[in-house]
Amino acid sequence: MANLTQSTASRLARRIGDRGPVREFLMFSLTGELYGVELTRIKEILSPPPITVVPRAPREVIGVCSVRGLLVTVLDLRRRLSLEERPLTRRARILLGAAESGEVIGLLVDEVRHVVRLAAGEIEAAASALGGDVAEFVMGIGRPSGEFLILLDLQAIVSG
Amino acid sequence: MAELSDKAREEFFSEAQEIIETLSRNLLSLDASIKSGASDPSLINEAFRAVHTLKGLSGLFGAVRLGALSHRLEDVLDDLRLGRIEFGQDVLDVLFAAVEAYTRILQAEKANSDDELDVEGLFTELERIGAGAAEHQSPVAEYELDPGLLAVLTEYEEHRLRANIDLQMQLYRLRVQFDLSTIDKALEEIKERAKRHGEIITYLPTGEATSADTIELDLLMASRDDLATLVGSLGADNVVIEEIPRRARRSVGAGTMPPRHQTSIGRADSVALQRELDKGGLETTSSLRSLTQTVRVDIRKLDHLMNIVGELAIVRSAFGRMAEKLRGEGQRKLAAELLRMHRNFDRRLGEMQDGILEVRMVPLGQVFDRLARVVRQISREVGKEIRLVITGAETEIDKLIVEELSDPLMHMIRNAIDHGIELGQRRVEVGKPLAGTIALNAFQKGNHVMIEVEDDGRGIDLAGLTEKAISLGKLTRNEASELSRDEVLALIFLPGLSTRELVDDVSGRGVGMDVVKTNIGKLGGVIDVHSETGIGTKMTITLPITLAIVSALMIQAGKHTLAIPLSSVSEAIAFDEAAVRMVDGREVITLRGQTLPLCRLDRLLNLEAAPDSMSRRRFVVVAALGQRRLGLVVDFLYGQEDIVIKPLGKSLADVRGFAGATELGDQRVGLVLDAASLIEEVLAGVEAPRTLERRHG
Repeated sequence: MANLTQSTASRLARRIGDRGPVREFLMFSLTGELYGVELTRIKEILSPPPITVVPRAPREVIGVCSVRGLLVTVLDLRRRLSLEERPLTRRARILLGAAESGEVIGLLVDEVRHVVRLAAGEIEAAASALGGDVAEFVMGIGRPSGEFLILLDLQAIVSG
Repeated sequence: MAELSDKAREEFFSEAQEIIETLSRNLLSLDASIKSGASDPSLINEAFRAVHTLKGLSGLFGAVRLGALSHRLEDVLDDLRLGRIEFGQDVLDVLFAAVEAYTRILQAEKANSDDELDVEGLFTELERIGAGAAEHQSPVAEYELDPGLLAVLTEYEEHRLRANIDLQMQLYRLRVQFDLSTIDKALEEIKERAKRHGEIITYLPTGEATSADTIELDLLMASRDDLATLVGSLGADNVVIEEIPRRARRSVGAGTMPPRHQTSIGRADSVALQRELDKGGLETTSSLRSLTQTVRVDIRKLDHLMNIVGELAIVRSAFGRMAEKLRGEGQRKLAAELLRMHRNFDRRLGEMQDGILEVRMVPLGQVFDRLARVVRQISREVGKEIRLVITGAETEIDKLIVEELSDPLMHMIRNAIDHGIELGQRRVEVGKPLAGTIALNAFQKGNHVMIEVEDDGRGIDLAGLTEKAISLGKLTRNEASELSRDEVLALIFLPGLSTRELVDDVSGRGVGMDVVKTNIGKLGGVIDVHSETGIGTKMTITLPITLAIVSALMIQAGKHTLAIPLSSVSEAIAFDEAAVRMVDGREVITLRGQTLPLCRLDRLLNLEAAPDSMSRRRFVVVAALGQRRLGLVVDFLYGQEDIVIKPLGKSLADVRGFAGATELGDQRVGLVLDAASLIEEVLAGVEAPRTLERRHG
């Protein structure tokens, strides 16, 4: 018994030592690609409420909506990442996150998949894989179970 | 200040602030009572207690400056309440100065600043007043009364004691043994019997009972009869009656109230100590408790609570959904039960929301009290006697509004005293009472609070006002001749037009009414002026009851439902396409003889057109900002609504033309137009037409 516990502990210790601390990412799809943002950054996932277009707003801002009395600025992540726009489906969701200014930002995505756990060692640096103006929003690439997952830096996106 | 937790500090400041406000109110009441010819001793007593409490608190929290001022002020108030110094306006002046000093010190303490505050002058004044005390001994002090007894006298008892002494009554001490089981009855009996001879002023346990079942009381009695008569009438085995001797005047020595201000330092110290004792040990312990049952709360905490209510609202809708689901599955009974709970929850949640809104409300009396001090001060500065009449001080309004109101109201009152109220002699000549009256009235009217500042002075000089406006180039003589009376009065709100040169220049400190109007406007309020030559001027401020709610005109432009705050709308009219002319490449119409530039909202904001917009009759909403007016062409008017404006996020900060957004119900959000920025944008670089501002009715 004692031996078993000890060996489990040492195995865990080795794993953490090897791969670094584990982080959770929310996986979602956008124009056919898979993306992930750190789960702790997401406050809530919503079905899109009616969104009021704000005239004269920057291109990536779709508009504003109200979430239980809280005014949320909704960003179109496709426009921010310069992706092709497709009509939304029933599966579209809004991910709520907070910018440093305290502003609550909603990110419109095509579909929310599930949560994946990635150790630090499982995250590849992104600079080599991607280029252009998207790079500033990407914190790395993950490949959980063979899928290609672009990990976004939510803070950079909402504050950009 | 000593190291303390922030919370403890906050509480100390709140409490100190409240005590100072109480003191200020007491002084104002005293001021009024002196004017009516009698100073109320209970008010002095209250003031004394307030300062005494503050002194205790200051000591506890190491607020040295507050303590020092309290200590000196307490001495003076103590002399006052014991009648050792005469009460008068000059004393009151110094006391009011002390209130101001308190406020300054408190601000400095809050800011943790150790800056020297110049209070030496005040201290000298307090000393000077106190110095009068030695000359004027209270009649009470002439009796060898037990200081312990004096310290616990209630205001009423103290008053009775003085009254009896004034009536040349002799004071007696009745030491009475009571049986604990029958004391209530026995005490009543002895009081009843004493009535024939005088009255029992107070009683106090001596703590020297002879057995566990008895209690010994000292009864202080005033009577016209001599000792022998009293002993004959009231005397018994358990009653010992003694006459309380008058002490020899000015006796220095073992007496309980030695005169103050000895030259020797050592002597002064012992005097100070004795005075501490005189004020009574009993009071010290009880006075450290809070005087009030109120708490001060950071308004952000209330906002936080409001957000929690929002969260609870989701839980509520989850209940609703679950009930529907149950019903769908045929569980009718369970569904009905859940629905009932849901309704109950809904109602309570609504009550909670109302409750939180209500907590934000504070009585206008808070700001009125401050104004009363200002009135007193200004009236003494300029040598005009002013009677301030306040009604509706209990009217409640959003805390944030109250904070912003005091400056505008102060300017209005200053203007009223400086320029409205005539000098006393002049008033008598025209048959008015010598004292000018300024009325400060507040009342609620629907979702608004009205505040009136009214004076019975000379009224606004319309001719002078017009001349000034012409000389400042605000309008031509021709235009001036066409103005209605109300339009002339509205000139007072133009920059540079109000205040001093118009009438006599007394203060030279007047702030323009334009600033007042702007500040009131920032609160979502409007100001109206009404004036009768020779009779007086009345300014009326209309404010929303809470900043959280604003009256707005709901309109449609293109597919958008938009709100325009009513404070920036002067009127709305039907739009006649045929009446549009082009002037300098700009669309204009003529409205009552004046040119009104137009702006088609859907084009300006590039709004998607509503499908049926062409067929509909359209409207022009006239937005007004100072002298500038702009006609906004809109597709539909929905009418007036009270809305809650929420600011747009930082990522939309650069978007011009919107003041925020508001919920329209059914989950939708509507944008709120910022009339000021629209007018600026459309009329930018173009000289504003010389139209007078017209307030909406």
